[in-house]
Amino acid sequence: MDTFKKVATRTRVEGLVVLLVAVGYLWEAHNVPEFYQIPGVPGPTTFPRLLGIVFALAGLWLLVSPKDLMAFKKGAGASAEPRAPEAAPTAGGGVLGRIAADWHFYTMWAVILGYLWVMPNLGFPLATFLLLVVFVFLLGEARWHVVLGLALAATILIYVSFKMGLNVRLPLGVLEPWFK
Amino acid sequence: MFEHLLNGFAVALMPTNLLIALVGCLVGTLIGVLPGLGPTATLAMLIPLVFSMPPATAMILLTSVYYGSMYGGSTTSILVNIPGESASVITMIDGHKMAMQGRAGPALAIAAIGSFIAGTFAVLMLTFVGAPIAAYSLHFGPAEFFSLMVFGLCTVASLTGTNVAKSLITTCLGLMIATVGIDLVSGAARYTFGNPFLQDGIDFVVVAIGMFAFTEVIVTAREVREGVRAEIVKAEKVWVQWKEFLYSLPSILRGTVFGFLVGMLPGAGATLSTFIAYNLEKRICRHPERLGTGDIRGVANPESANNSASGASLVPLLTLGLPGGGATAVMLGALMMLDITPGPLMFQKHGAMIWALIASMYVGNALLLLLNWPLVNVFARVMSVPAKYLMPIVLVISTIGVWSLSYSEVDLVLTGAAGLLGYYMRKHKYPIEPLILGLILGGRMEQAYRQALIISQGSNVIFLEKPISLVLLIGAVLFLLLPMILKKSKQFMAARETSVEAA
Repeated sequence: MDTFKKVATRTRVEGLVVLLVAVGYLWEAHNVPEFYQIPGVPGPTTFPRLLGIVFALAGLWLLVSPKDLMAFKKGAGASAEPRAPEAAPTAGGGVLGRIAADWHFYTMWAVILGYLWVMPNLGFPLATFLLLVVFVFLLGEARWHVVLGLALAATILIYVSFKMGLNVRLPLGVLEPWFK
Repeated sequence: MFEHLLNGFAVALMPTNLLIALVGCLVGTLIGVLPGLGPTATLAMLIPLVFSMPPATAMILLTSVYYGSMYGGSTTSILVNIPGESASVITMIDGHKMAMQGRAGPALAIAAIGSFIAGTFAVLMLTFVGAPIAAYSLHFGPAEFFSLMVFGLCTVASLTGTNVAKSLITTCLGLMIATVGIDLVSGAARYTFGNPFLQDGIDFVVVAIGMFAFTEVIVTAREVREGVRAEIVKAEKVWVQWKEFLYSLPSILRGTVFGFLVGMLPGAGATLSTFIAYNLEKRICRHPERLGTGDIRGVANPESANNSASGASLVPLLTLGLPGGGATAVMLGALMMLDITPGPLMFQKHGAMIWALIASMYVGNALLLLLNWPLVNVFARVMSVPAKYLMPIVLVISTIGVWSLSYSEVDLVLTGAAGLLGYYMRKHKYPIEPLILGLILGGRMEQAYRQALIISQGSNVIFLEKPISLVLLIGAVLFLLLPMILKKSKQFMAARETSVEAA
């Protein structure tokens, strides 16, 4: 089990993932209907097949690369060190513990992805205001009047300058009934 | 040729273009000063804005931002010991020492002068060397072009990142993303999974903004929470004595030439060129032991090298249509969006625009020299704007950038996904530059590949039969093997490590 852990480093797992993606990619290429192939001319699957193969080979290399296996052979001490940062389990119990310790980071990502998801429907002004409030807060600004003031000012400024100045159609979303 | 250049100046000196060049230089310098936002990310965010501009103006804006960021990076390296962008990492060593010794003024002055000399040299070379290279490359057929692009991708793969396999993976990933969409030749829908929005393919700007801007924001956000604000040294008189200038002149010249030569290589960005030029300088100069102790040559050399290299990376872009690095890759994308197909025919079909661009680079260099001299302290002050206010704004502007491309929700989702992937890649040492490069070059590569196969009637041997193509492919393989050969050189490996974060 210990040997398995030493061998199954993150890089190798990544190599495996790459290999699987390559297989999926090649399979999809295979699925392109035949009638698209014009005889005598390289069809739509020629290049993807080539790419898929190179991709798979690179992933395979990562998977079976003997580099750290050789270091492992040279002595358990030597290989333990570079592996340490990769396999580092944080003190404090597993996945939930790690999430709790890093909650700012995960929240930031959640907020960004959420913003990208809802912006068209919720409307630019509201979504941006919320994003700015949450983000500036997460980045450490604790003074609420600064957070809210900055978010409001920035939202209005950006909205006006992009909509009027550069003619970008920013959706009003939820605020539409009030402005129409 | 001189009349072309004069016509170019006529366009470059038009009030609109002059103003745009000034704005670009200012924005570029600011970007260079602010850590966390590199030239590549900014260029990606600017592309949606330059859509509506005439091609010459658009390129002038993008190039002056690129140039300006090289100047700005030195300011923070010297005054604050934080490199504004990765090409200025070396300047930090001697530069900040000089600042601590109270010699920030001369350091900044020599940085500006060295950058000006190097930049002008690069543009001169572009003027004289550009058209002949383009003319030569007219002999290139599809097979040669395919091999050229393979060569370019392999040089990028070998020169960035710590592991060639990882770089190859990201390159292939970029190329694979480029195959998404309806194939123009046969009409087959590839990798669209029934989604109509994917039929047009995935826009590189979407991925570039996701991987550069969004990822960068999160990376900086983590640093902001953990890091400390560094103290900013104030620069007194920004002036250098004649004696010191003469003392640094050989270093400047060497940095300029070597930076240019390495920078011309497709794939070698400004960062790598600067490292290589500096290492050569350490071996060649007199009294190398003085470098690192606050020697003014330790500022002059890298600054010249990085400006020269950034100019040099425009050579393959404008003559062959092959980007020299991450930022020029984005510029290539911009050119394609402006309906200009980069390549050897560019000088013939869009000659006026290219010469206007070259002329504006002369102008830009002069502008930057004039700007940097008095405003150096102002720019340094900009650093005191806390990142916690700036980063969220960058997020919003990036989102607007992506949104304004096609007003598509799918683009936003894709950008978010790209950001996530980009973060994972950054964290686990997968270089991002090759991916963007692959994404941008993918379409043309496939086209060249298929055309070559048509000519050879299906035989892959054509790539080995044509001499130019064969040479390029051998070169590509050699570059891929280079890291293994140069493993002993610690500096080479260090340069590659830093360039992973290069944006």
